[in-house]
Amino acid sequence: MEKRWGKKWALICLFLFNWARNVSSLSVTVSDMECVYEYVLYEGDTISGNFVVVDHDIFWSSDHPGIDFTVTSPGGNTVHSLKGTSGDKFEFKAPRSGMYKFCFHNPYSTPETIAFYIHVGHIPTDHDLAKDEHLNPINVKIAELREALESVTAEQKYLKARDTRHRHSKLLPFSAFALS
Amino acid sequence: MNKGMVFGGRAACFLPIFLVLCLTRNSNILPVAEAIWLTIPSSGTKCVSEEIQSNVVVLGDYYVIDENNPDHIPTISARVTSPFGNNLHHNENATHGQFAFTTSESGNYLACFWKDGSHQKDSELTLGVDWKTGIAAKDWESVAKKEKIEGVELVLRRLQGIVETIRGNLIYLRDREADMREVSEATNARVAWFSIMSLGVCIAVSVLQIWYLKRYFVKKKLI
Repeated sequence: MEKRWGKKWALICLFLFNWARNVSSLSVTVSDMECVYEYVLYEGDTISGNFVVVDHDIFWSSDHPGIDFTVTSPGGNTVHSLKGTSGDKFEFKAPRSGMYKFCFHNPYSTPETIAFYIHVGHIPTDHDLAKDEHLNPINVKIAELREALESVTAEQKYLKARDTRHRHSKLLPFSAFALS
Repeated sequence: MNKGMVFGGRAACFLPIFLVLCLTRNSNILPVAEAIWLTIPSSGTKCVSEEIQSNVVVLGDYYVIDENNPDHIPTISARVTSPFGNNLHHNENATHGQFAFTTSESGNYLACFWKDGSHQKDSELTLGVDWKTGIAAKDWESVAKKEKIEGVELVLRRLQGIVETIRGNLIYLRDREADMREVSEATNARVAWFSIMSLGVCIAVSVLQIWYLKRYFVKKKLI
């Protein structure tokens, strides 16, 4: 009875600790500044993701400077920043655990829709292996495999968002040219 | 040998506490790491959306996080709409809520949140949103119970699910690219025909003009 109870909790623990960090890709409309927060459980976790501006308005005005993207650590420092871009990928190691802030800044007043995806990945280190005797080296390999699959999924989400943006913008210039 | 206890060990002693905290969603002690947090402005709505294909399971969970006064948590209202405008979920005056649906049409699904009129303070509200689609929304615990698998085998089964999703996405992207290419080629052909035709019309009109003017000047005995 004791062992079955422990096994059940172990399974639930497995779900929560190993799969508790995946976020689905969402879109948000940015008029001036929009921030999204994500909690990072362990120091040294890899925070990866991408964002794409899906509004086709950005193509009409070529003098649009693009969107600024900044990541702020719990201590208030800017960990990562990208300026004047219409979409990019990012990856960095979290210097500490805590609540991270991901902000999109739109310098123009026209609202832009941004599709973003953020993933926090944790791979057990040798330190974790030494601390917990129930953690096998196989868990490290499984975690690495899972992170590799997550990176493929992230890449696919990026391609899908970019495809959506091009789909919105591609047909109009052709027909405008055809009419002229 | 208990194969199920691959990860259990140390976790079993503080796991019940963690679970209780997860269920009560009290962010003062331990925030739940599985969601993103948004700030709801004091006036206006905050919306998040996602472009989803048809026949995909969507699982949503939202909860208000207010560290300033935990005994008087402000309430929000939520609404989830399908691309055709159907109301999939509507909740008023709540501090947390859940919704689950299977998409019947592909398009942009929108979830909007706004502050209730009863709490008209000028402060912003923090909302935790847990939005899962497709394979992430699958209930693996029931699969584990039904098929009696656990531990490493269950993890590998989940990875297999992810790989199948990746393959599905790849096929979808390839089909969309093929559609785009066909549209591009058709438009290109139409533009080419149009430009040749307009060039032909220009040449024809100029030839006609020259012929007419020549005839006119000859008639008027100027040439």
